[in-house]
Amino acid sequence: MYAYASRSERAYQIFIHTAVALVALSALFPLVYVVGMSLTSQSEMIARDYFVIVPQEPTLEAYKRIFASPLVWQSIGMSVLRSTLGPLLTLALTTVGAFVLSRKTLPGRGPLLFLVLFTILFHGGLIPSYLVMKQLHLIDSFWALIVPMLVDSFGLLVIKIFIENLPDGLMESARIDGAGEIALLTRIVVPMAAPALAAIGMFSIVNHWNSWFDALIYLNDKQLYPLQMVLRNMLTVDSMANDQMNFILKDTQRVSSETIKMATVVVGILPIMCVYPFLQKHFIKGMYLGAVKG
Amino acid sequence: MPAETEVNGNLRGTERGAPAVREASLLRRMAAHKTLYLLFIPVLLYYALVRYWPIGMAWIVAFKDLQLGAGVWQSEWVGLDNFRVMFTDPQLVKVLRNTVEISLLRLAVGFVPPIILAIMFHDLASNRFKKWTQTIVYIPHFFSWVIVFGIVFALFSTGSGFVNNMLEWFGLPRKEFFLDQDWFRPLLVGSAVWKEIGWGTIIYLAALASVDTQLYEAAAMDGAGPLRRVYHITLPSLVPVIIFLVCLNLGTILYAGGEQILLFYNQAVLDTADVVDTWIYRESLARLQFSIGTAMGLFQSFVGMLLVLATNAASKKYTGRGIW
Repeated sequence: MYAYASRSERAYQIFIHTAVALVALSALFPLVYVVGMSLTSQSEMIARDYFVIVPQEPTLEAYKRIFASPLVWQSIGMSVLRSTLGPLLTLALTTVGAFVLSRKTLPGRGPLLFLVLFTILFHGGLIPSYLVMKQLHLIDSFWALIVPMLVDSFGLLVIKIFIENLPDGLMESARIDGAGEIALLTRIVVPMAAPALAAIGMFSIVNHWNSWFDALIYLNDKQLYPLQMVLRNMLTVDSMANDQMNFILKDTQRVSSETIKMATVVVGILPIMCVYPFLQKHFIKGMYLGAVKG
Repeated sequence: MPAETEVNGNLRGTERGAPAVREASLLRRMAAHKTLYLLFIPVLLYYALVRYWPIGMAWIVAFKDLQLGAGVWQSEWVGLDNFRVMFTDPQLVKVLRNTVEISLLRLAVGFVPPIILAIMFHDLASNRFKKWTQTIVYIPHFFSWVIVFGIVFALFSTGSGFVNNMLEWFGLPRKEFFLDQDWFRPLLVGSAVWKEIGWGTIIYLAALASVDTQLYEAAAMDGAGPLRRVYHITLPSLVPVIIFLVCLNLGTILYAGGEQILLFYNQAVLDTADVVDTWIYRESLARLQFSIGTAMGLFQSFVGMLLVLATNAASKKYTGRGIW
């Protein structure tokens, strides 16, 4: 970038390279530690006084135990279901909403837009939302995980701006060719806005995959729990007591509860890491879009 | 439902006339857009049921003493009693104070690191190194708080935590970080910084991408060292974004990250950890204090809205740039 490589420039470059490398390392190290722990047997834990970074005799015992649980498999199914169905519905509704609100000639557009904007600023809160979900008979139903997230107000505004910035001639010529609203939406807007839609869709997928609080308040039936909720229960319920107990007892099972917990974390991380390369591309594009236009 | 002003604004002379004519033309124009209205119905339904019904519910329940058995309509009106309880109950006052303290702590500690990191990313001479490290530091943002809690547990637990192992290695006593009042907030804010530091750089990098590189070249020609360039070119070009983000953050001052705290806290640290969100969850859903929980949520939302509007107005006045 700078062709003026003086000594202070070089010192500065060395400094920022080192600093950035350290930040990147501190992002990675905890993950390495978690993976290492998840593969360590109980005997090695005890032999090395619970200080293991790279296990000498890695074992998959903890993973075997986790995946022996039907609840874990069920919850993975729920998470996959909500992370595919949810984002599809969200994307459809959000796109349609954005398309309608992007039309400047629509009577009543102003008030409708305000209706959407206002919800970003003001909401009823946890308890009223819970009471409404109860009145809608959605408590203890799979739809309790889908319905509240159906439209993404912020995404709607981003896509609306994106559609408004599409060249006018495009829509005009399609309309002259006899295209109706639906054709405009599916043939012109959706293909043209694809990058923005992909970003919003990715946000929705990650949101759904990572959500657990909605399950905590809206679901009592363990059969419906998504993966994050099951992980949460394995990690936090009485985690302090477990931690203490293990420290004192160091029982002689083949894996400790720590190892199970770490394997649990890895199970939660793996899917995200697998889709991360795809995610990243779309997210960055979407974020830049939002940052520049917003 | 339709906006009269907009109709008038769009008339443009051709349809000027008596109100009856105007009315008819509005209906005609609405009829011409009927497909759009039909398309919008599901979206409208969503906003009505999921967004506005709870708001309406909040304004009712907050002024009643809700008994689940009796239902919303049969429960008794109690006026401002719920709010009175809120502002006089020492426990609730403490919860409000915790919330503001934790929010401000997050802002004070979490705000600057992404700015510094973004500036360093921006100045890195090696593009490949930049790309790789960016890819790595964004990763934690995509983990759920459940996962982040698991990772913090791996590092700080008493039995097998990395930090405690290191302490012992250096001959220091082990520490029960999770049960220690003094350590709760540092753990909370530290892990939040870990999760979001990389992601937080994106908005600054977007702002820096539009800075004219000739400015840097000219500065370098004039003999400005790297730090002077950061101070005189990079930082000033970030000021609007920084103000924008401060506005947004101040609006959420009564939301101190309840989801994260719900995972991290326990009985031992409740005094320093309990915030509005966790209190509402615990007391309302477990002890059925629905009305006070609702009043609290309403207060939270109201303060948030006022703060966003106020900071936005201030930002517009002093920097010419607001959220909208």
